[in-house]
Amino acid sequence: MTAPIPEAALEPIPEPIATGGSRASRATWRAFRKQPLGLLSLAILGILILISIAAPLLAPYPASYGTDVLKPPGGGYPLGTDALGRDLWGEIVWGTQQSVLVAVAASAIAIAFGTLVAVLGAYIPKLDAVIGVVVDLTLSLPVLPLMILVAALVGPSTSTIILVVAAFSWPEVTRIVRSQALAVVKLPYIDAARLMTRNHLWIIGRHVVPAVAPVIVVSVVVTASRAVLSAAGLAFLGLGDPTTWSWGRILYEAQASGAMVSAWWLTLFPSLAILALVLSATLLSIAYNDARNPRNHDR
Amino acid sequence: MRKRYPLLAGVAAIAVLALSACAPEAPPAATSTSTAKAGTDTLNIATTTDVVNYNPLVGNSRSDYWVSNLMYPHLLSMNEDGDRIPEVATDWGYVDETTGFYEIRDDMKWSDGEPLTAEDVAYTLNATKKDKPAGTLYGQLANMDSAEAVSKTRVEMKLSKPDASIVEGIGFWGNIVPQHVFEKAGSVAEFANDGSDGGWVSAGPFVLTKVQVGQSYTMDRVEDYPIVKGGTPIPAKVVYRVYPDVNAEILALQSGAVDAIANALPPAQVEQLKNTAGIKVEESTGLGYAHMTYNMDNPDLAKVEVRQALAHAADYDAIRKVVLQGQAVSTGSSPLMEVHGDYYDKSIKEYDFDVDKSRSLMEKAGYTADANGNFPVSFRLIYSLQDSVTSQWVQLVKDSAAKAGITIELQGTERNTYLAMTNAGDYDIYAGNFAIMEDPVTNMVLSYLPGGAINYTHVDDPELNDLINTASTSADEKERVKLMREAAQIVHEKVYDNIMYSQQLYFAHSDKWTGFVSKPSELLSIVNPVSLASASKTAK
Repeated sequence: MTAPIPEAALEPIPEPIATGGSRASRATWRAFRKQPLGLLSLAILGILILISIAAPLLAPYPASYGTDVLKPPGGGYPLGTDALGRDLWGEIVWGTQQSVLVAVAASAIAIAFGTLVAVLGAYIPKLDAVIGVVVDLTLSLPVLPLMILVAALVGPSTSTIILVVAAFSWPEVTRIVRSQALAVVKLPYIDAARLMTRNHLWIIGRHVVPAVAPVIVVSVVVTASRAVLSAAGLAFLGLGDPTTWSWGRILYEAQASGAMVSAWWLTLFPSLAILALVLSATLLSIAYNDARNPRNHDR
Repeated sequence: MRKRYPLLAGVAAIAVLALSACAPEAPPAATSTSTAKAGTDTLNIATTTDVVNYNPLVGNSRSDYWVSNLMYPHLLSMNEDGDRIPEVATDWGYVDETTGFYEIRDDMKWSDGEPLTAEDVAYTLNATKKDKPAGTLYGQLANMDSAEAVSKTRVEMKLSKPDASIVEGIGFWGNIVPQHVFEKAGSVAEFANDGSDGGWVSAGPFVLTKVQVGQSYTMDRVEDYPIVKGGTPIPAKVVYRVYPDVNAEILALQSGAVDAIANALPPAQVEQLKNTAGIKVEESTGLGYAHMTYNMDNPDLAKVEVRQALAHAADYDAIRKVVLQGQAVSTGSSPLMEVHGDYYDKSIKEYDFDVDKSRSLMEKAGYTADANGNFPVSFRLIYSLQDSVTSQWVQLVKDSAAKAGITIELQGTERNTYLAMTNAGDYDIYAGNFAIMEDPVTNMVLSYLPGGAINYTHVDDPELNDLINTASTSADEKERVKLMREAAQIVHEKVYDNIMYSQQLYFAHSDKWTGFVSKPSELLSIVNPVSLASASKTAK
């Protein structure tokens, strides 16, 4: 249920840090454009986001039931129907919305919290020891059983899923960002900034965070794909929101109604959707990580 | 309903569980096994859960029930129509108003050679009464003071007050356990009976010999089982194999890894499996029902018009047609079903699906719809996510109620949470089902009397209470029928319960085996003792 974080994203970046400036980002974009996999991933993610926004235009919200039960793809149902005769295409389209929402919301929370903790830790050495211990502790927890426990106790709903996923994703973000931030706060220009002002928040906001922004971008994508996997996993275990369509819920209902054996389309299509989102997110983060590495930029 | 058992069982009775079975006189005639002899074949059966409890007197899950039923017989069984038939008991009834009796067979033996006598029966009843194990049988014993073996084959029970259904209730719901084994353990409520002191002792067709938790439960034939035709079970072994879900079970049956599936088939798979080569599907009558109850502690739901509005805002036909694939019948929204014979009242008709009627009832109750046509009410409906059929139809209920301007908020939870919420009355609408509601009087006592174990409506209607109380002490069957019909009219009219359908169950087995005897409910299904003892491999 957890996507491995690309190796590259874990390493502290030894290269000079791009501290803003449009020249660096233009160089990154130029390098990125040369990676077909990255572009393809970006396109797939774009399409998924588009589908989630345009869901009402693409398919009516799945009715509560239909008369054509378990029909294979074709004949008015492009992806077939489920055990209650509902159109699978509609379920997947509306499920995209929930998956994208979970991905965006859970990663936003995890990133915001994780980055804040990481930067504070790096900037205030006294806090760092405590934060390090907390992060290590949280990372060593068995995530899946805890997610199941929390989701079961609090009760299934989309907001529960988002909070649960975010709660278990931020330490990963903190770890990556912290290692980068530790390198940044020791750089001469931060010392220079300290001489200019005693407003630490300004220093953090103006200099530290922008310096770690590239790793944050990578974390966003990875955390988002992990959130989708976790949400789908929880929904498959029956701990998702039973009233909102999600890809995991389609799988869960196929399993619960015993239709998995005969109706291959009920498992194939939602799985493909999950695969598309997770794979493209992972590839995108790798491509971006490569692209922002100055070594790969044209000289 | 998959596992509602433990809880309710503790409480009371009947209601939920299923039974057990064995039909002495039910020669599996339909199944032409007359030529089959005790052989060397192993019958593999798929189940979804492990056995967690080997003591039949304590509340149990499906697998517990299936396995312990093959070892600990009941006094009475049930035939396909839901009538009680002899098993260990050959005759039963009342000596006088407060004394019940059972005459039992004299040819039953425990697998260690000890005879099964009236002493075992009396011990089982008295020990259960004393130690209060959390099982269905204890719930049945409310009006029993004590039991006594007056001869080797006759047990008499002293009752604390007249109770016309207790003899059949106890006979049907209680397993008999061996006194010489259980007595040593002290309390029957605490005895694990896990075979740790030299294995199990059985008076059924099979005895458990090997347990591999998470994988299989192997049971060997008991050579002497007089209840089955021929006196010896046909399969040499029965092995329950654990598969995590019903999809895996179906695949295992198709691949030949198991010969039968103990769980009922999901409605959507029945047609498909009927048309699959190598697989046979057996039907069994529904003896239970699925229902919604409206919690009258909620001030809105305390108004009869609101309950009626809700009752008219569900499309029962669509639920039966789509969710159950037509494998269910209407009971006319009445707790008295066709299988109850004389009790069934054809004049009680199902609530028609009519959202306009719902709206006018809501207005009559004093509610005014807003600009969008929605009334200012919202009800929280609870159901178990493990119950796939209910999980599906509650969606339909929610959508159709929305058309009538009534908001229903679905709260599906994990089963144990659901049971806890049910017991705490933490719901507005409860959706669920009961496997077997075989005795109308007992059902109504539990469902509609104040304090009843399954009175989920929290109803306390003096008129209804009178009818039920009178019926429960009446020895006259005709009078009971009349009283129950009147009670059902009240329940229907005031919507103290909304019975939606009675489901037909289907069970699948390989066509390499024949001779199964299908009985009502998932607990008896085709894995009841007589059925498994009679099953044989088809001659090739």
